Amino acid sequence: MGTVTTLKTPGSDAPLDHYNPGPFYCELLGSPENRNRHLAALWHRLQQQDLANLAARAKDAERELFTLGITFTVYSDRDAIDRILPFDILPRVLTAEDWRIIDAGVKQRVKALNLFLWDIYHARHILKDGVIPTDMILKNPNYRKEMLDYDPPCGTYVHISGTDIVRNGKGEFLVLEDNCRTPSGVSYVVENRHLMQRAFPDLMQGFVIESVSEYGSKLCEKLLEVAPAGVAEPQIVLLSPGVFNSAYFEHVFLAREIGIPLVEGRDLFVDNDRAYMKTVSGPKPVHVIYRRVNDDYLDPEAFNPESVLGVAGLMRAFRKGNVTLANAVGTGVADDKAVYAYLPRIIRYYLNEDPILPNVETHICREAASLQYTLDHLDKLVVKPVGESGGYGICVGPKATKAELDLCRDQLKANPANYISQPMVDLSVCPTLTEDGVEPRHVDLRPFAVTGRDTWLLPGGLTRVALKKGSIVVNSSQGGGTKDTWVLREDA
Amino acid sequence: MSSLLSRHAECAFWMARYIERAESVARLIEVHSSFQRGRSSAESNWAWLVALYSDQKTFAKAFDQATGENVIQFYITYLENPSSIQSCVRSARENARALRPLIPTDMWYQVNDFYNRLLGFSSTDISETRLSRTCDAIKRGCYAQIGVAENTLYHDEIWPFFRLGLFIERADQISRLLDVKFAQIATGLKADKSQFDFGFWALLLRSASAYHAFRRIHPSAVEPEDVARFLLFDRRLPRSIAYCLCEIQSMIDLLHTGFQLNHAARAYEQMEVLAGGLNQAGRDAALLDRLHAFNDWMQIGLASLATELGYAFFGYQRPGANIQTSPHQFQTQTQN
Repeated sequence: MGTVTTLKTPGSDAPLDHYNPGPFYCELLGSPENRNRHLAALWHRLQQQDLANLAARAKDAERELFTLGITFTVYSDRDAIDRILPFDILPRVLTAEDWRIIDAGVKQRVKALNLFLWDIYHARHILKDGVIPTDMILKNPNYRKEMLDYDPPCGTYVHISGTDIVRNGKGEFLVLEDNCRTPSGVSYVVENRHLMQRAFPDLMQGFVIESVSEYGSKLCEKLLEVAPAGVAEPQIVLLSPGVFNSAYFEHVFLAREIGIPLVEGRDLFVDNDRAYMKTVSGPKPVHVIYRRVNDDYLDPEAFNPESVLGVAGLMRAFRKGNVTLANAVGTGVADDKAVYAYLPRIIRYYLNEDPILPNVETHICREAASLQYTLDHLDKLVVKPVGESGGYGICVGPKATKAELDLCRDQLKANPANYISQPMVDLSVCPTLTEDGVEPRHVDLRPFAVTGRDTWLLPGGLTRVALKKGSIVVNSSQGGGTKDTWVLREDA
Repeated sequence: MSSLLSRHAECAFWMARYIERAESVARLIEVHSSFQRGRSSAESNWAWLVALYSDQKTFAKAFDQATGENVIQFYITYLENPSSIQSCVRSARENARALRPLIPTDMWYQVNDFYNRLLGFSSTDISETRLSRTCDAIKRGCYAQIGVAENTLYHDEIWPFFRLGLFIERADQISRLLDVKFAQIATGLKADKSQFDFGFWALLLRSASAYHAFRRIHPSAVEPEDVARFLLFDRRLPRSIAYCLCEIQSMIDLLHTGFQLNHAARAYEQMEVLAGGLNQAGRDAALLDRLHAFNDWMQIGLASLATELGYAFFGYQRPGANIQTSPHQFQTQTQN
């Protein structure tokens, strides 16, 4: 690409001279009331950069992602099309203090979620005590009867989780969503850092940044902790739906980082309630399966009989304790958007603590008062279907057309229990390189936690950025990109 | 105990086969088209290439006549033809995609880049004036693919499977080439001996990159039988059947004794049958008369060897099982 730049108006001003985050909290400059440039060192560093040069290097960086195959895959009728997740070179920086809050908050949440799952699949105290409506749990499509009275090693159901966190105008972190099934994105955290180190060492120089390269070994350690008891050398595998899955690159990445076989359902079989993989030296026992296949497809014998992605009899082997599934089956009930609304109460119930990371204020439309409130304030609220992920089916009131609002109103009335609503959160912004120079763009954060006997967090996490001006939808399927996320070891 | 999945072993085997196949096709087209130059179009004969791969039916569905232009398109850019170069490299790439957890990034990058370049070929690239350059680029793409594997792939159990695919395919290709070319003589000699001149034999040797080596061994004359024997039995020629069988043998050895994969036994036996048959053919004074039968037998033997490897390592079911060669499946799910 050479000296070509995509900047529309390459000016002689310093990159941040015209940067204006408006009414939002800025990850670089601080809160709207007090733009004290709380990351002053980085601000000065960026001010010294030549924008055209940065833009040219950004192009090179993106092409490098493509040639290295750090892609997600979209399939047309005949061909596999590899796409990269757009990468913004201006990092999102968290101070050590920021990270202390997130680290403690996520650990608290994961702990509560695991205790909650144990309870609802055993004695159901929380339902009997009336903290959560019983039917919301027992009639939840992600509540799996197959899990009743099953005791997972270390009491851990959710081994790998990603917590979607946003920051409001005051700079407070709020949890938007828990992901307790098969959260993806961790490969980008590691690869973005590698890219940053190769392409922009000058931006990083002098900052002491927490490493992200430990993820593979930590995940391996945690998975070994939950292996069935009494196995001398547990065999871990990663179960992928295969090359046609959009996250296939991540599966490849993880298998390589942990050093374990990347298997598909057809590579495994169950005999006498034990799981095996088919190798060139014959059947080899498998003890821990990090599965990236959803519950429904996991075992045609127990769930969707049409599934060719799963392994017949796997649930029998699992229930007998001969193989550990990470995550366990039936965790989807814990990251349900309706259950999410109760999470502060769940944390208090099991841990007797206040949530370190609060929720975004949430109205549960199954409750009459909340439904009425939602209908009355539709143009000010974000309405989300409880069963969807990936940003689908969301109605953003302040940005919706009248027709969209009407449709949303009809859907709400037809099936209120399917929806929650939340006020618009003033998502924080981060300086982002656009064709108009450095501009504020909204970001969120998905830190990744791995849990065996206890929980470890990968410092930082995936910062997703809504590249469209003014947009607050950061999902990769809807025009989102990513940034490298730095956790500073010392407060800068 | 090995942790190499049967599926991955098979993907490595097929990845190498497809690359080698693409290279062979490019070689044949290049050499044959240069042979055609300077001859009248009445003499032009491209149908033999379709016969070589027994593709007559598929070809007839797509094209009326076996003109040079049609056959070349059919074998280079025609994606509906599973043995076209583009199809082969696409299949190699899909196998590589399944192998990504095991292969170095360089190896994936090479096949990805190679395939994307092939997709960029226009009709100009396969026109007469550019054909030689295009075939050359394809050959070099294949060399680079094998080379990057040789120089970057970790030589654990996956390595012998890659090599087995490579040399089984190469032996099969050379056997087919000999068969078709000597069949042309058998029918042609009766009509007009003059077309089987020096140029014809030079062409055959060049399609196996064997011309100069042959001249060094046989400086005086080019005898048809010498050509056949050189391509069949010379162990120093990387594209002779003897050379391929040696490589196959040492790879099965490696699996058996090196990696302790004990059920290689029947594949090994099949290998010995092939080596024995080749030896016997070497002693046959009337080899040329029996060449067709020998080549038939060799191709069937190589196919059974591949099947034995399938039973032993790729998880094929022995009695009349469905042989799965493609890593594709179409069910999907969403990820959160």
